[in-house]
Amino acid sequence: MSNSISNSNNTSAKNAGNAKTNILENIVGYSEGVERKRAREKTGSDFSQEKWKTSNDIAKLHPKRLQLKVAEVIQDTPSTKTFRLVSTGAILPPFQAGQYINLYVNINGVETARPYAISSCPTHRADPENGYYDLTVKLVDGGFVTNYLLHNVEVGQQFSATSPMGTFYHNPLFHGDKLVFLAGGSGGAPARAMIESVLNRGLKIDFHLIYGNSYENDVIFEDTFRELAEKHDNFHLTEVISRPTEGYSGRTGHLNAELITDVIGSVEGKTFYVCGPTPFNEFCEDQLTSLGVQGKHIRIECNGPPKTPSCLENWPSVVSEQDEVRVKVQGKGEFIAKVGEPLLNSLERNGYTVENACRSGECSLCRVKVIEGEVFNPPEARLRKSDETFGWTHSCVAFPTTDIEILY
Amino acid sequence: MSEFDAIVIGAGNGGLTAAAALQRGGAKTLLLERHNIPGGCATSFVRGEFEFEVALHQLSGLGTEDKPFIMRKVFNELGVMDKVEFVQEGELYRMIVVDEFDITLPASWSGIRNTLIENFPQEEEGVVGFMELCEQVTMESFMGLPQARKMNSEKMLNTNCKNYVKYGLRDAKSVLDEFFDDEQIKTLLAAYWCYLGMPPKDCNFCDLAVMLYAYGVFKPWHIKGGSQALSSALLESFLEAGGEVRFNCSVDAITTDQSGEKPKVTGVVTENGDSISCSQIISNASSVVTFGDLLDTPVLPSGISQDFKSRDLGTSAFCLYLGIDCTPEKLGIKNASTFISNTMDEELMHDTMSTMNPPVATMLTCYNVDDPSFAPPGKSQLSLLCLQYGSVWEDVPVEDYAETKYHFAEHLIEQAEQVFPGIRDHIEEVEVATPLTMMRYLNTPGGAIYGFQQNPEDGPLHRERYDQVSGLHLAGSWQGMGGFQPTYMVGVSTAKAVLKKVRQNKTTQESEAEVANV
Ligand SMILES: Cc1cc2nc3c(=O)[nH]c(=O)nc-3n(C[C@H](O)[C@H](O)[C@H](O)COP(=O)(O)OP(=O)(O)OC[C@H]3O[C@@H](n4cnc5c(N)ncnc54)[C@H](O)[C@@H]3O)c2cc1C
Ligand SMILES: Cc1cc2nc3c(=O)[nH]c(=O)nc-3n(C[C@H](O)[C@H](O)[C@H](O)COP(=O)(O)OP(=O)(O)OC[C@H]3O[C@@H](n4cnc5c(N)ncnc54)[C@H](O)[C@@H]3O)c2cc1C
Ligand code: FES
Repeated sequence: MSNSISNSNNTSAKNAGNAKTNILENIVGYSEGVERKRAREKTGSDFSQEKWKTSNDIAKLHPKRLQLKVAEVIQDTPSTKTFRLVSTGAILPPFQAGQYINLYVNINGVETARPYAISSCPTHRADPENGYYDLTVKLVDGGFVTNYLLHNVEVGQQFSATSPMGTFYHNPLFHGDKLVFLAGGSGGAPARAMIESVLNRGLKIDFHLIYGNSYENDVIFEDTFRELAEKHDNFHLTEVISRPTEGYSGRTGHLNAELITDVIGSVEGKTFYVCGPTPFNEFCEDQLTSLGVQGKHIRIECNGPPKTPSCLENWPSVVSEQDEVRVKVQGKGEFIAKVGEPLLNSLERNGYTVENACRSGECSLCRVKVIEGEVFNPPEARLRKSDETFGWTHSCVAFPTTDIEILY
Repeated sequence: MSEFDAIVIGAGNGGLTAAAALQRGGAKTLLLERHNIPGGCATSFVRGEFEFEVALHQLSGLGTEDKPFIMRKVFNELGVMDKVEFVQEGELYRMIVVDEFDITLPASWSGIRNTLIENFPQEEEGVVGFMELCEQVTMESFMGLPQARKMNSEKMLNTNCKNYVKYGLRDAKSVLDEFFDDEQIKTLLAAYWCYLGMPPKDCNFCDLAVMLYAYGVFKPWHIKGGSQALSSALLESFLEAGGEVRFNCSVDAITTDQSGEKPKVTGVVTENGDSISCSQIISNASSVVTFGDLLDTPVLPSGISQDFKSRDLGTSAFCLYLGIDCTPEKLGIKNASTFISNTMDEELMHDTMSTMNPPVATMLTCYNVDDPSFAPPGKSQLSLLCLQYGSVWEDVPVEDYAETKYHFAEHLIEQAEQVFPGIRDHIEEVEVATPLTMMRYLNTPGGAIYGFQQNPEDGPLHRERYDQVSGLHLAGSWQGMGGFQPTYMVGVSTAKAVLKKVRQNKTTQESEAEVANV
């Protein structure tokens, strides 16, 4: 591949057409090459039988957008609903249990989106008629999208979404066969998909779910998990309630090191999945680390932008989250934004559309270039080294700390 | 009249260099890329603490500061030389054929000669002659041959390109057989065939010779921050010059005016339905996609159809990107590039590429050997790659895809562990890319990474530049060869040709305007 004669000679290859003056025939092997080429021209195909084959092959696995319809709404707990989504277009693409889709919504004229883990097992997607993904959505206090989804969405409503994405799933190459899932609240959603996927495929994997919730009456998939634990020797369930009612007889408190050791014994040779609200994730990570679990054996699902970025290291001390700055979008316009709001959100709020999926700094779909001014990039931003060199940022987790001009 | 003098479809190596050269040459240029980041193959992605290099193993053509070679000039002209840092690799490669040999070739022409003679004393004469030939054929192919062709002079060809005439277009295997008896040295010297995708029996000797000589004399390199850093620098240079780019913006159609004898491009339509008019379009997308899917003519232009019929899709690759929690030394990895093989039979290796059988040849790359900054302190990134045709993966039922992919990945790890045991226990992150992954990110048929197959009759002496549609140019691995250096260079050369047209157009328009004013 380092051969560059191809480039220096391309243009003069025309001479090859004229047999009389074709000096190339002097080169050993040249004429045989011409012959072979002619022979191939007679028998070969010109790839035109299947127009758009490449695009169609890609779309089977990774369509850019899914067109979905709510087939069923299931009230799981007082705070949580499961939306069963079927495709109105092509058959739903496959995914690995634990992955999410990014669901697009239009709320009072604002185009935005939120990623949600698929809570159903991958086996349920394939049926061309009834194949579905479940999204299980728990209400977030004051949440823009969860409020809308839980209070306004009905059977028959249509959505578009990205295809499944994300890296939070069991990777048999190095996760081993002893898995422990620490779930908090809505973390039960990917947990159900992963557990059912292991059990439905009959994998020789030992799976332990430690499921922490605030209230006994608000445990998502409680019955499902209990039934599965009953039925399968390789699935164990430990439920923990942090704010029990009086007389609650189960385990209470937090998923601390002591509880983890008590429940699973040694941490040796185990891989831990952690999924819940950010404080839950941070707490669990600390506890696991204190037990000597190496970072590579702790897999934490990403979970949105930091809620209070100003508390993070390197936040410029002169700026407060309530401050306002001017955001100029090259060639498109400008608006005023709050420093404490992720740039992507304020862009959307002001009618700008930026591609996005994870909204957690991980997937890089929301890249924008900062031409002028400063943004704060929290550790969530999985930037490439050269992004920093050339001023690119992940707008979903970037906070403008001065007036800025961006390009995308 | 269009807002743009030129539109470039795709921001891979060919597209980026073309766009930067066009804009810097004064043509107002729009670059459209379907992915969210520039680079095509020349990119990276982040998992955990690691930023994985996707494609670049060894950059050729750069030369040293004292002994610069063409790519320094090219990068200089594109305005990126001060935006990136290059890292020289110490060795060409270590090749290990299990139960046969384990030899490391240094990145030095005389060093290679000494190493070969030391290991194969009985082949000394062959070594000297063969290396001499590689040098001559390389020189002739760069200097004498283009001149002779330009002048169309048989005499110049026969006097200035003696070696090329005799050996250049022969298959590499027959030339190796002519110089050597020992099978081991032949296998060792043919190792770079994997950068071409065709085994020695089916590739031009010239291509192998140029590669050996160029890497040996001008050294193999990689880039600080990976090939992504260079892709981003090229984009930066393009933007600095006033270029306009749109990401997440696939081109869905190239429109033409078909009233004349030859279709003439009029513009593009993007995935958002935007129509943008323009009379000069450079496509970095594959030729099959460009002409077969995007072009709005009812049938393929006949010259294209004829060319395609005599082509085969080139290879794709199966690749494991590993984040490792220890240094390369700890695993015994001493060189950036190690070829690990269980056979010396290249045809068997090539046949295996069309199957799901465990690969018999794997390439292990560890950038940290020459550049510790490629991973967090004390850690390293490895890639394990085997070439494989995409068609095998197109046949895998969707339900079995994930499992098949992990299963196949196990084979690669096993093969590497024959030589470097313990890799698996040190894995901190791993990502698997199949030919379908390549297809997804590159939009190439079969996930091809080097363009069309490079059989001896697919080289530049047998193929013309596509010019069946006026105003439509191809730049990238589907016009010429795959690989970094060729695609960077074809981008620049295509841009130069287009710049001439743009300037001509401008002068005509200006004089027309003048006439109108009078
Ligand atoms: C050229 C290139 C560029 C890259 N750029 C990026 C980047 O910008 N950002 C980034 O995060 N990563 C990037 N990567 C890494 C890439 O994302 C990983 O290799 C990857 O996430 C796994 O590949 P994939 O998503 O294509 O998935 P696949 O290997 O296709 O898998 C992704 C998901 O889709 C499912 N899937 C896909 N096809 C099928 C099928 N037929 N049947 C069943 N399941 C299926 C898989 O199970 C999996 O869950 C790049 C890799 C390459 C080679
Ligand atoms: C894993 C791997 C390892 C490799 N190792 C090496 C190596 O060690 N040395 C070496 O020299 N080479 C290597 N190569 C090959 C080399 O990287 C490629 O041949 C070269 O980079 C191809 O460049 P290109 O210009 O053809 O464009 P590509 O990289 O193919 O990029 C084409 C671009 O066009 C975009 N595009 C396609 N269709 C459209 C559309 N309709 N609209 C908008 N945009 C579109 C794509 O998204 C992509 O960004 C490797 C490749 C891979 C994948
Ligand atoms: S949306 Fe994924 S990084 Fe911003």
